[in-house]
Amino acid sequence: MDRSTSNADDALIAFRNVSLSLGGRPILENINLKVRRREFICVVGPSGCGKTTLLRLIAGLVHPDAGEVIYDGQVVGEPASDVALIFQDYSKALLPWRTASGNVSLALEASGTPKPERAQRIRALLDKVGLAHHADKYPAQLSGGMQQRLQIARCLAQGPSVLLMDEPFGALDAMTRQVLQDEVLRIAESGHTSVFFVTHDLEEAIYLGDRVVALRPNPGRVAEIFDVRLPRPRDQLSTREDPEFMRLRRVLFDFIQETES
Amino acid sequence: MSRLQRAGWAAASIAVGIAMIGIWQFIAWHKLVSPVFLPGPDQTWAALVDGFENGMLGEQTLETVERMIYGWVLASLLGTGLGALIGSSRRARELIAPTLEFIRPLPSSAMIPVGIAFFGLTKSMVVGVVAFGSIWPMLLATIHGFSAVEPRLIEVGRVLKLSRLQMAFKIAFPNAMPDIFAAMRLGLITALILSVVGEILAFQGGLGSHILEASRAYRSPDLFAGVIVLGMIGLTSNLVLSFLEARFLRWRRP
Repeated sequence: MDRSTSNADDALIAFRNVSLSLGGRPILENINLKVRRREFICVVGPSGCGKTTLLRLIAGLVHPDAGEVIYDGQVVGEPASDVALIFQDYSKALLPWRTASGNVSLALEASGTPKPERAQRIRALLDKVGLAHHADKYPAQLSGGMQQRLQIARCLAQGPSVLLMDEPFGALDAMTRQVLQDEVLRIAESGHTSVFFVTHDLEEAIYLGDRVVALRPNPGRVAEIFDVRLPRPRDQLSTREDPEFMRLRRVLFDFIQETES
Repeated sequence: MSRLQRAGWAAASIAVGIAMIGIWQFIAWHKLVSPVFLPGPDQTWAALVDGFENGMLGEQTLETVERMIYGWVLASLLGTGLGALIGSSRRARELIAPTLEFIRPLPSSAMIPVGIAFFGLTKSMVVGVVAFGSIWPMLLATIHGFSAVEPRLIEVGRVLKLSRLQMAFKIAFPNAMPDIFAAMRLGLITALILSVVGEILAFQGGLGSHILEASRAYRSPDLFAGVIVLGMIGLTSNLVLSFLEARFLRWRRP
């Protein structure tokens, strides 16, 4: 095990023949998938294909009926402290009675960070997501984009090896979404973090990912995995104009149309 | 509403109060109701001043306020504590809720004779009855606040690996705070009512006894003075609680 964890190419997360039913309905069937260390992997597919469930399996919030989910060489049981989950509905995932710094503090309190160290770490984290001047505001006083930044800051406070992101920018306007996409890329790059990013936006998936996993619905299965051979750092204009970007967009678009018909 | 409009409404509401006192004075002057039963505002004011000057009324007011606060604080502590325990566990809720629903609608003044039987005609009996009667809003609000936490926040707690105790203090309790505050206001009014009823029934001093004695002796100005002091206690305590609520629940009004 020690040898494999030191190998950067080895899988950090692995689904092995995972199947799951919820309320008698099969959600996922025989999933096999590996996420490498420091990989940015995007998952797309029509609604009801179990994208979010995949992510909740890694988080340890649900458990498979058959097969196993491996994280860092261990079968996933309870949530792991270095796996952070960013929810889509940021307004529900923040504590409305705590200020921005208080919300970041929650993660530090949970990990038992001594009180004197917290203030400084909170400041650094808020700074990292561009909320340095909003530390004393309550979530209700922040815009949607800022609330999502705050949730990201709280997740970074966990010092995560993996960021699980569940359609994090789905509810944001186009401009804010692009800015946050670039920030997440930057954060993942600088923190050597693996990212498991669920989205229904095909272009977003190609723009962000090293690989894009396409799921087929009813029940959810891995249909195809696309390698994204686009240079990094990515750029909102030139990357999106790259012929490879457009080719992938076409392929994925056709694929989704075919699965939905 | 603009500031000017708000000031206008405040002035109008004061005018309404003054007009009511005017009508009261008018009725008293023209003896439309016998002065034995209805003293004028002037006589009532005189009785108030007199009562506070000779110290009796002040002392009785303190007795009643003390009883109300002791009972209410006891009820708040027990109510939130028990409510937190019951609200945190679905099994506890299912086991205890039906019994609570049976005890809750009992008129708490009906518990005074029961209290007398258990504790005798004592001051602690009155405090006990006050606590019993005013615990319900706090208890039920805490149970509700603890059991109605946004499921997403519970998941956040699970992902962050919060312990049960951290979950209760960092998530469930603040979540229940608005409910608890609303209930504490209700509970305080109930506590005031029960303090006075308890004092009347058990003859344990305080404003209840003051009112009872005044009414038996047909001293209607004293009776009205006592009622007005009770009104002021209610008003003041509500203002204090509103102030505290605005401070603690600042996050609710961005």
